[in-house]
Amino acid sequence: MGRMMPEGIQVDVVGLTKMFGTFKAVDDLTFSVQPGMVTGFLGPNGAGKTTTLRCLLGLITPTAGTTTIGGRAYRDLADPIGTVGAALEAASFHPGRSARAHLEVMALGAGLDPAVAGDKLAQVGLSEVGDKRVSGFSLGMRQRLGLAAALLGDPRVLILDEPANGLDPAGIVWLRSFLRALAAEGRTILVSSHVLSEVQQTVDDVVVLSRGRLVNQGKLADLDSGPRGVLVRTPEPEKLRDALAGEALSTEGEAEDGRIRVVGGTPEQVGHAAFVHGVELHELVAEASDLEKTFLLMTEGAVDSVPVADLGGATTS
Amino acid sequence: MSNTSVTALVRSEFKKISSTRLWWGLLVGAVVFTAFQAGFTTAFAGVDPGAGQPTSPGLDTDEAIRSAYGFAAFSGTYIFALILGITGVTGEYRYQTITPTFLVSPRRSRVITAKMLAHLVMGVVYGVVGLVTALAVSGIVIKIRGFDLGYGTEGLWTSMALAVLAIAIWTLLGIGIGTLIRNQIVAILVAIFITFLIEPLASFGLSAADLDTVANFLPTTASSALIEPANTFVDYLDWWAGGLVLMGYALVLAGLGLLLNIRRDVS
Repeated sequence: MGRMMPEGIQVDVVGLTKMFGTFKAVDDLTFSVQPGMVTGFLGPNGAGKTTTLRCLLGLITPTAGTTTIGGRAYRDLADPIGTVGAALEAASFHPGRSARAHLEVMALGAGLDPAVAGDKLAQVGLSEVGDKRVSGFSLGMRQRLGLAAALLGDPRVLILDEPANGLDPAGIVWLRSFLRALAAEGRTILVSSHVLSEVQQTVDDVVVLSRGRLVNQGKLADLDSGPRGVLVRTPEPEKLRDALAGEALSTEGEAEDGRIRVVGGTPEQVGHAAFVHGVELHELVAEASDLEKTFLLMTEGAVDSVPVADLGGATTS
Repeated sequence: MSNTSVTALVRSEFKKISSTRLWWGLLVGAVVFTAFQAGFTTAFAGVDPGAGQPTSPGLDTDEAIRSAYGFAAFSGTYIFALILGITGVTGEYRYQTITPTFLVSPRRSRVITAKMLAHLVMGVVYGVVGLVTALAVSGIVIKIRGFDLGYGTEGLWTSMALAVLAIAIWTLLGIGIGTLIRNQIVAILVAIFITFLIEPLASFGLSAADLDTVANFLPTTASSALIEPANTFVDYLDWWAGGLVLMGYALVLAGLGLLLNIRRDVS
């Protein structure tokens, strides 16, 4: 590849609906993914993320709507894995086959030199175990192998389903810099996750899904636009409320841990008001970034709205 | 680069087969079973089984020699070739490797075509190994019993070549069955159930009802027609017709499987 950057490829999902029997897994979903950045595809388990990705990759036939990569359906791509690299759930390896052989099988099928398998194993840090059978691999190693498979054809578009699942903290940091570097090369990267914090520091744009419907698309930063509050703990809540009322600050009842949430002011203003009115305070803190909460509120009532760390099993939704 | 060529996919299929241990495990099974078949056939050829049972032709007849080599190779090997073919498709669903396979080649019919071509070659390999086994084991037993090896027997070499072909076609039958029935255990059980139970029963029933012509179109009978072109006792189809009937089964099953599965969701 020369120094000139190849053209970026846009991914489009338009009016996508997928029914499984009477269950609507994806409901009239429309969004697009831009090149040169990492887009997070977020939603709780069961929101329809995997179904959408599998429609994009021609593995599932939509009930209605279209999915295109650079304007073409996956099955019409001239060079499928040279255009789109995909890593779906970490389970799709034959346990008796070595990591290298798995990549060689794909490379040969795509008409590539099977020697690329070695390069990609090195790229994801699996060189030393390349000739070992996949049955002995941890979930984290399988994730890396899946990523190597996705990178096999040096594609301009990467579609990764829950790639952080099963990675240790160091692995997540590695994945983050890896994806940022790929995006910086002008690639289009779509990464799904049911845990916002996993991808929070990786993604630029987000597409948020709940019960098969789009609930938000835009900059990650815009998700966090809600007013930030101040949390206060006091043995004299009534006195504090009166004091704050005098300073035109309002309280929003008690948080579940006995703290009072104050909106419309800074910790300095709240502390000052308490001091002036002689209210005893035990805790005074600015509310932390509310992204996770916003995310939960946004996807509230979904099939499984409490994100739980996956313990080994592949996540399908 | 065009949308993945069948040639590339065939190479990929060979890599799939060679990179796991199943193919030689099945081959070992075929060798053991063929050795048993050959040894049994030659040890008891022409020996009066007693109890008023008819005696099989002796080792000095053309019939017995052909049976000791070609037919023993086929009957000991074909079921393993069939299972290799079935797992060639169903193993992909079992281990979910069908996902990367269809990502590499979203045109699913090309994948099945490539599987058929690669497995046909594997079937020939199985057939040759089965034949060598039968030649060795039968040869030893024939020598021990003091008969001539009978390499000059009329129709022997044709019958052996056709046995290899028949085994290869049974591998294709496996691909057909696997394409139609994606569950590995179910596919293997159904295939074995039909081959060892339903077909003999059907064959027996059809003969009893004087419908031998129909029975000739059953897969195992068609195989016999293919292997024993010089058989003068049973009125089989012509050898080439038997081969075409077998191929027909494989293609119809695979075609039907593709028709049902070409658009089916892979998740």
